[in-house]
Amino acid sequence: MLILKKGRVLRVRYLIKYSKESEIKFVAHLDLMRTIQKVIKRSELPIGYSKGFNPHMAVSIAQPLSVGVHSNGEYMDVVLNEDINEEYIMNKMNENTPRGIEILDVVKVIPVEGTKKKQAMAIIDAARYTIKFKCTNIESIKEKMDDLCALDEWNIIKTSKKSGEKLVNIKQFIHEFDYNVENFVMCIKVLISCGSRDNLSASLLTEYLKQNLEFINKETFVDITREEMYAYKDEKLVTLSEFF
Amino acid sequence: MNKISDDILFKVEKPARYIGGELNCCYKDIDKIDIRFAFCFPDVYEVGMSHLGSRILYHVLNERADTYCERAFAPWPDMEKQMRDNNIALYALESKDSLNEFDFLGFTLQYEMSYTNILNMLDMSGITIRASKRGDDEPIIMAGGPCAYNPEPLYDIVDFFELGDGEEIMNEVLDVYKNYKGTKKEFLREISKIRGVYVPSLYEVSYNEDNTIREFKPKYDDVPRSVKKRFVVDFDKASFPEKIVVPYTEIVHDRVILETFRGCTNGCRFCQAGMIYRPVREKSTATLIDEADKLLKSTGYREISLSSLSICDYSDIKNLITTLIEKNKEDHVSVSLPSIRINSFSVDLIKEIQKVKKTGITFAPEAGTQRMRDIINKGVTEEQVLEAVSSVFASGWSAIKLYFMVGLPYETLEDVRGIAELSDKVAGEYFKIPKETRKRGLRITTSTAIFVPKPFTPFQWVPQSRMEDVVEKIKAVKYAIKSKAVTYNYHESIVSYLEAVMARGDRRICDVIIKAFEKGAKFDGWGEYFDFEIWKEAMEECNVSGDFYAYRARSYDEVLPWDFIDIGVNKEYLINENEKAKKVQLTQNCKDGCTQCGVNVNFKEGTCFKGALFNQV
Repeated sequence: MLILKKGRVLRVRYLIKYSKESEIKFVAHLDLMRTIQKVIKRSELPIGYSKGFNPHMAVSIAQPLSVGVHSNGEYMDVVLNEDINEEYIMNKMNENTPRGIEILDVVKVIPVEGTKKKQAMAIIDAARYTIKFKCTNIESIKEKMDDLCALDEWNIIKTSKKSGEKLVNIKQFIHEFDYNVENFVMCIKVLISCGSRDNLSASLLTEYLKQNLEFINKETFVDITREEMYAYKDEKLVTLSEFF
Repeated sequence: MNKISDDILFKVEKPARYIGGELNCCYKDIDKIDIRFAFCFPDVYEVGMSHLGSRILYHVLNERADTYCERAFAPWPDMEKQMRDNNIALYALESKDSLNEFDFLGFTLQYEMSYTNILNMLDMSGITIRASKRGDDEPIIMAGGPCAYNPEPLYDIVDFFELGDGEEIMNEVLDVYKNYKGTKKEFLREISKIRGVYVPSLYEVSYNEDNTIREFKPKYDDVPRSVKKRFVVDFDKASFPEKIVVPYTEIVHDRVILETFRGCTNGCRFCQAGMIYRPVREKSTATLIDEADKLLKSTGYREISLSSLSICDYSDIKNLITTLIEKNKEDHVSVSLPSIRINSFSVDLIKEIQKVKKTGITFAPEAGTQRMRDIINKGVTEEQVLEAVSSVFASGWSAIKLYFMVGLPYETLEDVRGIAELSDKVAGEYFKIPKETRKRGLRITTSTAIFVPKPFTPFQWVPQSRMEDVVEKIKAVKYAIKSKAVTYNYHESIVSYLEAVMARGDRRICDVIIKAFEKGAKFDGWGEYFDFEIWKEAMEECNVSGDFYAYRARSYDEVLPWDFIDIGVNKEYLINENEKAKKVQLTQNCKDGCTQCGVNVNFKEGTCFKGALFNQV
């Protein structure tokens, strides 16, 4: 630990991109969080801790991932007490990850004089997903999909703890929508709003499609992958790694 | 290999229980090994993965190049339904292969109420439940653990039992197996000669007209009459894993566990563990610190729990705790103690520990009055209890938990009211502390459990307190509590009765267990699944009286179902202890002088206190 003048400790922030692979998609958010903290501990990185009675590791995950969803583009902020080479951090962590997690990128967040860099969780605006449904029949799927896409509003009841049941039009949160069908599997690629401003969860979108497309096999698992997360920089969506 | 598809997993609760692939779990090439061993824990993943003994044996077995040990747990009923509906056999987490493809299934017996889960796990694997009907091509079923000290209720399910420390026996058994593969009968006959192994099919029992046992004897001359338990003589050098499996999902004891010593010196008369794990053997502080270093590094945990039967009796405890905390200060590693004795020394230890993380405090006086505590040989005075809690309150705690038992032998209503009185007195100690030093919000939680007499204890001959008496006693405690700060937790569950039936059951209980399983009993240890009606019917249909096992007083000359097992402690010692209980006489802690239980004489290799430091405490 590097002690600066007046006893202050150096704090360096890193944005770390990682994957949660299909084989561990059923691991819940809090469990994944604990798993990542153990990866950091095993990597023997000089991680920062919060003050107080039960010190917490300075790790925050940008956007929680639901149980059953896997991802190629997760992000977390970590704070180290030393300035360490990004590649070293990536290698060290990858030596200590369990099967199902891979560190993909490490970016040092360089502070700009006079401004405070926002946390990753505060800047997210959108996320890209691949959603795979198993279909019971594939006849005239194109017409059915055209009909659905022609609707002005995609309304579904959303239940939340705060506001109870509410009818929302989720179509306004969909930036890109594309699909193809192969071997009775419909694969949808979407870019949707995500984060603290506008948010559409992939599971709610999935639920809407399940309710409105009768050819989807409701008894089977829907495979959802989060591919990447984005933020607006100069009015253009860029990946979180590119943002800093 | 079974394919556990996502279409199944997304429908069940906590699917992460069934996926495997955790950090540090072991993978081996099946073509390069001779023996496939499935370590089975008859309860859910989160409970099974918390068990230290299983973690040690997983490691010991996988250290062998010729053996591949994998894990299996009882699937929760929602998953069981999915598996049965989709024709998926119970599988091991590592290879996902069905258990019926294994050479051995090893079950650990931690509590009697998990027995039906064993049957269910066999059934889900497509393995014949009765050992006598099981084919030569089916896996060999073995079991060990504390409940194996009365193996008879499982005599026709388990092919052989291991009594004592598993890390000792396992290797010898597997060495023999390599020469007897495919010849189950010959193999069992051969291992019956290994010390610590019990093969029920090689023994026969006859009964008297009053249903007690007339005789228990081996069927053949080369089979030993008595089975001596095994134990690790040099515990400091016992095999201990440097890596343990780190589950993705949170388990019950989600931390590094260090086993500081085996055995216990207190000699509480109700406690089976205190007798069967003798002699007391310690690990040195240096070894423990080294194990902690390696485990913290290989797992990434930030919490260490010190395990043993009575942790404050570890001879170098203070040094161990301060060293562990000091060494891992920068990583904010906390140390926790599962059970503590009541004295001022233990309060000092807690103060040391809570510098890193504040934990709750639990004391177990076990009984309410001094008379009763002396009967059970608890060796704690009321003065000590009050002194300890006073010091706890003065150090800034305002919440304390107190554990007691009801239904102890020779107990009166006056004794159980003492539980309420002691709880009130503990509350009184809080108010003696000046307002400005004590923490606000006094909360005392008093819990009672129902006593179950266990084999190999001085109380193995006594009847269990009748359910109706227990209910009355619980009521007495409830109405006698005066302080508003005391919350009383209790259960009146009939499960204690069944536990008593199984704990001291004989071979006839085996039929009852099979019958109950066929009627749907499983997860009996879980309130939401326990159904006493099933068991009542099963006992009636098997013509077995539960009261005969639970409520009957035995005479000292009766042949007990577990008498053929030699734990090293003399039967005369247990008899004498029960007689002393009747006279309310104490027996000293063995640390203060040998109490002549016999373990160090009967088992000459067993030195008491091996590894302990005597100048410390």
